[in-house]
Amino acid sequence: MPTPRNTFCGRINRREAIRDIGGGFTSLALTGMLARDGFFPGAAQAASSNPLAPKPAMLPGKAKSVIFLFMYGGPSHIDTFDYKPKLYPLDGKTIDVKTFGRGGHKNQGRVVGPKWAFKPFGHCGKQVSELFPNVGECVDDIAFIHSMTADSPIHGSAMLMMNSGSLISGKPSLGSWINYGLGSSNENLPGYVVMLDKTGGPISGAKNWTSGYMPASYQGTVFRSQGDPILNLKHSGGMGAAEQRRLITSLNQLNSQHLAPRADNTDLSARIASYELAFKMQASAPEAIDVDSEPDHIKALYGLDGSNTDDFARKCILSRRLVERGVRFIQVYSGGAHNDDNWDAHGDLEDNHKKHAGNTDKPVAGLLKDLKQRGLLDETLVVWGGEFGRQPTAEYDNGTTGRDHNSYGFTMWMAGGGVQGGVSVGETDELGSRAEKDRFKVKNLHATILKLMGLDPDNLSYWYGGLDQKLVGVEGADPIHQIIA
Amino acid sequence: MLFPRHLNPTSLAPFAVLAAGLPAAAERPPVDHPEFAQDQVEYFEKEVRPLLAEHCFRCHGGTDSKGKVRVRSSLQLISRRGVVLGGDHGPAIDEARPGDSLLLKMISYSDPDHSMPPKGKLAPGEIETLTRWVEMGAPWSADDIDHLVEVEEDTTTTTINETTKNFWSNRPMARPEVPEVGGPAWAGNPIDAFIYAKLAGNGLEPNPEAGKETLARRAFYNLTGLAPAPEEVAAFVADRSPDAWTALVEELLARPQYGEKWARHWLDVVRYAESNGFERDAQKPFIWRYRDWVIDAFNDDKPYDQFVMEQLAGDELDQVTRESMIATGYHRLMQWDDEPADPLQHKYDVYDDIVRTTTEGFLGMTMGCARCHDHKGEPLPQTDYYRFMAFFHGITDMGKGKATVRRVADATDPEEAKAELAAREEEVADLTSRIAKIEEMAVARFAKSDPELRRQLAGRGVKLADPVLVADHRTRAQRWHYTTEKPRDGWSAVGFRAENEKWKTGVAPFGTQVPGERAKTPWRTGDIWLQATFQLTQVPPSLKLKAYHDEDVEIFLNGQKVAARTGHSTRYVDIPLGKEAAAALQTGRNVVAVHVRQTSGGQFFDMNLSADEGARRGADVARLIRSRGKEVFTAEQLKAYNGFVNRLAKAKAKPGPGAVEAMVVFERGVKVPPLHVHVRGNASTNGERVEPGFPEIFGGGEAVVPTPKPGQKTSGRRRALAEWIVRPDNRRTARVMVNRIWQYHFGRGICATSSDFGYLGTMPTHPELLDWLATEFVRRGWSIKEMHRLIMSSKTYRMSSRARQAALAKDPQNDLFWRFNMRRFSAEEIRDSTLAVTGELNLKRGGPSMYPELDEAVLATSSTKGGKWGKSPPEEQNRRSVYITIKRSLVPPELTSFDFGDTDAPCPVRFATTVPTQALNMLNSRFLNTRAAKFAERLRREAGAGPADQVRRGFELVASRPARDAEVAVALEMLKELQADHGLTADQALERFCLVALNLNEFIFLD
Repeated sequence: MPTPRNTFCGRINRREAIRDIGGGFTSLALTGMLARDGFFPGAAQAASSNPLAPKPAMLPGKAKSVIFLFMYGGPSHIDTFDYKPKLYPLDGKTIDVKTFGRGGHKNQGRVVGPKWAFKPFGHCGKQVSELFPNVGECVDDIAFIHSMTADSPIHGSAMLMMNSGSLISGKPSLGSWINYGLGSSNENLPGYVVMLDKTGGPISGAKNWTSGYMPASYQGTVFRSQGDPILNLKHSGGMGAAEQRRLITSLNQLNSQHLAPRADNTDLSARIASYELAFKMQASAPEAIDVDSEPDHIKALYGLDGSNTDDFARKCILSRRLVERGVRFIQVYSGGAHNDDNWDAHGDLEDNHKKHAGNTDKPVAGLLKDLKQRGLLDETLVVWGGEFGRQPTAEYDNGTTGRDHNSYGFTMWMAGGGVQGGVSVGETDELGSRAEKDRFKVKNLHATILKLMGLDPDNLSYWYGGLDQKLVGVEGADPIHQIIA
Repeated sequence: MLFPRHLNPTSLAPFAVLAAGLPAAAERPPVDHPEFAQDQVEYFEKEVRPLLAEHCFRCHGGTDSKGKVRVRSSLQLISRRGVVLGGDHGPAIDEARPGDSLLLKMISYSDPDHSMPPKGKLAPGEIETLTRWVEMGAPWSADDIDHLVEVEEDTTTTTINETTKNFWSNRPMARPEVPEVGGPAWAGNPIDAFIYAKLAGNGLEPNPEAGKETLARRAFYNLTGLAPAPEEVAAFVADRSPDAWTALVEELLARPQYGEKWARHWLDVVRYAESNGFERDAQKPFIWRYRDWVIDAFNDDKPYDQFVMEQLAGDELDQVTRESMIATGYHRLMQWDDEPADPLQHKYDVYDDIVRTTTEGFLGMTMGCARCHDHKGEPLPQTDYYRFMAFFHGITDMGKGKATVRRVADATDPEEAKAELAAREEEVADLTSRIAKIEEMAVARFAKSDPELRRQLAGRGVKLADPVLVADHRTRAQRWHYTTEKPRDGWSAVGFRAENEKWKTGVAPFGTQVPGERAKTPWRTGDIWLQATFQLTQVPPSLKLKAYHDEDVEIFLNGQKVAARTGHSTRYVDIPLGKEAAAALQTGRNVVAVHVRQTSGGQFFDMNLSADEGARRGADVARLIRSRGKEVFTAEQLKAYNGFVNRLAKAKAKPGPGAVEAMVVFERGVKVPPLHVHVRGNASTNGERVEPGFPEIFGGGEAVVPTPKPGQKTSGRRRALAEWIVRPDNRRTARVMVNRIWQYHFGRGICATSSDFGYLGTMPTHPELLDWLATEFVRRGWSIKEMHRLIMSSKTYRMSSRARQAALAKDPQNDLFWRFNMRRFSAEEIRDSTLAVTGELNLKRGGPSMYPELDEAVLATSSTKGGKWGKSPPEEQNRRSVYITIKRSLVPPELTSFDFGDTDAPCPVRFATTVPTQALNMLNSRFLNTRAAKFAERLRREAGAGPADQVRRGFELVASRPARDAEVAVALEMLKELQADHGLTADQALERFCLVALNLNEFIFLD
């Protein structure tokens, strides 16, 4: 096939191929290589012992961390950031429009007019709906992508696609790729943190933050914003730190006796070290999540005030604190479980979006403003969006005022981390039913995130199943250059 | 567009190019261009070229931002020659009929799967320009009218030629000479001779034999995944007879725990899981029987060729047995999306999953890479992939619930079977009525004695506000969608929206007039298809169905057929529904779909579907009798009642003469739908048609599939494949399996990439040894246990794992096997060992999987409350890890954090990572601390009250060797300080010691 040969295929000796590439990629490739070659116990295993050791970036990239605000269920772009003035007067009318949603393929639909008014914000004059008055104030820092498309309008497969680039499960998620590519700069905290909605996880649960065929060390760690942040961080029987220190001391003594005649085995010494790290983690993780120690004006900025914004505000503040501590990839879910517990507004759009936008608008804006005033926004990429958008039409012929799923066109936005502010790329048609201009796929979004993080989307690869697997697929993908500063 | 591959036997150079499926620029055929007028060329230069340059060149013959040449879909649009030659989808323009040109179709955006350019439809003016240009015949400037870029493709390994045919794993197996080695010690076992010869050749010495305690522990873990008891080690150490080792190996091979340990290795290779994944992540009913089949196969030492045959084609053998049917569950293990966005593509994703798993697992080939194009690193053309897929193409879709579950039995005398079935039905009916009577009596008595309870009992049974889900006309008016035109496929599926399909709506009953009833919506044709929907907020435990039908009726729930009756009824009749009917339900929208067929007039149909709360009330009463039965019955009465209940459970569980329900493979029939190459892997773009056949690198050839016999229900294709795989001269089968066996003994395969024996895998360190072992495997009747005996009796296996500086310097990775490789335990071994040390391990074998208790925080990651995670009694939870339920979206952290294989992809080698969260798990988790407490109890029980004795016994149990003074001293010091400085009691301190003992490196690393 006349696809240009990729880097290794066809070469007999893979190791030589990797040496040819050189530079920062070698260490990356080495991890994959060792993984692929199996597990050689013994002297030469140092490189695989700590898969999360920090690695140099492949390319210059501004962003050091990503906060992915995942609006699970699919927020309506035409009621939030994609202004469609011609849609309002069509409310209730049945029109010809090709759609594909939960209700299958249709050629006609009953329009549900946008429920909120839009007005221009910022120097750029971006039109934003009444649902997001606070985020509206930040539009000069935001790049909107109005022409996103995804391959599935069904939650299960679409979630997998947005998180791992594939409709089929078993592939590593975006956060895993970033930790694989860059390692973690804080060994006392996980490099990939996931915070779930209080109503539950998204459909497919842990498959959304899996490391797939990569080692489990790259999978996301579920973090709770209150109580114990990580599973088993505290002793289940309430053992105190001093006592635990005493146990670890004895454990170290015994393990050292065992190690003495096996000193060449770095796995054994790595495991001894891991207890010291675990001990430190127990101290540093609660400190990291101590959101209550934040000053009042910061709490107020995010909406941590006992109101409906409280929960998401806590998670947004926590995200910033984790970024400050070097966590690479943080994913925060707005919405969980099923139906109206998330943005999946099939029934009553107004109720649903008022609730979810209302819970998140101020916290999200607070996060952007806070990152900016601390000078952190330059190196922190904030991504907002769901697994797809929503149709201009209702799912049912009558009765409901909700919208069906739409993967033909929807909006996502990014801010910080090397993204230009105050720009909008791509367009949907005048109904908002499908992307028409500058269409982008999920892989372009992923490529943009990788590129901003200093990773080359076309070359960040992991050897598995006879193939150099990539997040963006074997053919590679272009980042969305229009939004990169 | 595919290029012929075997055209030029005389010249190797062009052959190489053709074989790779990629004619380089120079080899692409010339094209005759017509003469173009000057103004046409000017039009091209001025209007068309800029358009092509902006929207097309970058992917089709131009370079990307990094200067890399890109030729997507083999199409170069940078010259007229490229346009005419076209790419994978054919020529870009049709010179004879310009209007039909592919290029115009692509830019018209009429087919969402074939629309260009990808970023958005061109402006109408631009489309017009290109259309005009194509209609002119696509004029081009003479300067670059024939220009094509060179696409560099290294075909060294992708061409089928003498060199690639002679690659180590592609050539026929030879039986290598066993090398002559000096001393008799290393000449006894051919394995040793091969290993020693290579070591000596590299100036290395093998390690001495490990100590007997180490060997005992090594053998126990290697064969059973469990530690030896200290007494077992002592007995082995004390046994000075020359065959002590052989005897130990024999004994371990005979233990049932051997099969449980080695089955798990195979389950990794076939990515075993017990649910479908995706939104509902529904269980695969009875798939655990496949797991038990694998365990039994290892324990019974089922010959590997038979093992392969049964999994791939257990339903197509001459002798089909219950076991061989269960083995075909192999074809149902994959992930499956019950509402894919693109059903056709997903259907082939599922076949792809089977092709990948089969080629990687049995043949060490990464065939999956050839789905979209010829393999980029191996001599595997794309046609090989589809010819291989054709073997499986008859397999039916997964389907919801129990769609692929069948009762399977050994062949028995049908009359005998009938009689047994009737007797069983009678027994069930008899017991059911007795139990019902007793329960009625209990309710009456409870109600009398306890007014509060009476109120509660009355409240049950009407739990749902309206148990009627679909009403018949006697209850209320029920509106249906209906059609009398045959609907398209999938009309009964939950995603099928009758309202979008021009179906009519009408109120039931449908038909004409029948005894006692008159239809409300007329239906007078031969067939009618109906669809009604209802909403559920919770799924009822069972359903009741009544219908009045004339004539044959088929009823589907969410796409699954739950009832079918032929003939007609003369009243509303009860139609029994199995458990699978309730299992088909979901919260939210549900669809009932019905097809009624009429042959001779008198059409009628109406039905009623309601939630059956009776079952729930029955369960409540049964629970009540269990807990408070003494209040209303005598002990004897209770005993009788319990006896009936137990007998009923047993009678129901026995589903017929030797028959069990199992998830199995079946096909649509003897005829298999045609399969074509999918251009660029796209299931909706067919290329050339293929028939089942074998990889060309091994000689290829179409498979000879025998003509189906009368009564045969499948194509017989899978059997043809299985027979080819288990041929003794298959180039890969024996090599791949024997290498896996070696890997699970030594920590790495002779070929380290055990599922990839190709160019992209690693070269074997000892190819002659591997071939010798492979031929020996076949010679010994494909017996896996024989290979264990052979390997474990070698000195190579019994070497110490200690490092020697000189050897370490020369061969740090131990490529040459100068020592035994240390290894960390698998997740299962860690968990099982922990339970074994405390004495809690439950060695119960087989049966449905169990649910270990999960932390709230883990369950909260699921989108459904509690993650649909079951509850098992404590003793069930203490079973071996191979019996843990494998639910794709919720794998217990004890497994994942210690590198359990991903459930969605074959796992040839487990990782062994070390990260701090593992330490947190082992220090802090409830599971480990509960085990520590149990461990302490055991120590007090077995070693008495003295701390020194307790600690000694502890070390013995975790390390399978006598305790050492130095470690006892460390432990005693700790016990003392915990009590003195941390205020712990002696018992509490001992628990802490136990926790430390379970965290020792020695506990989870094997020498």
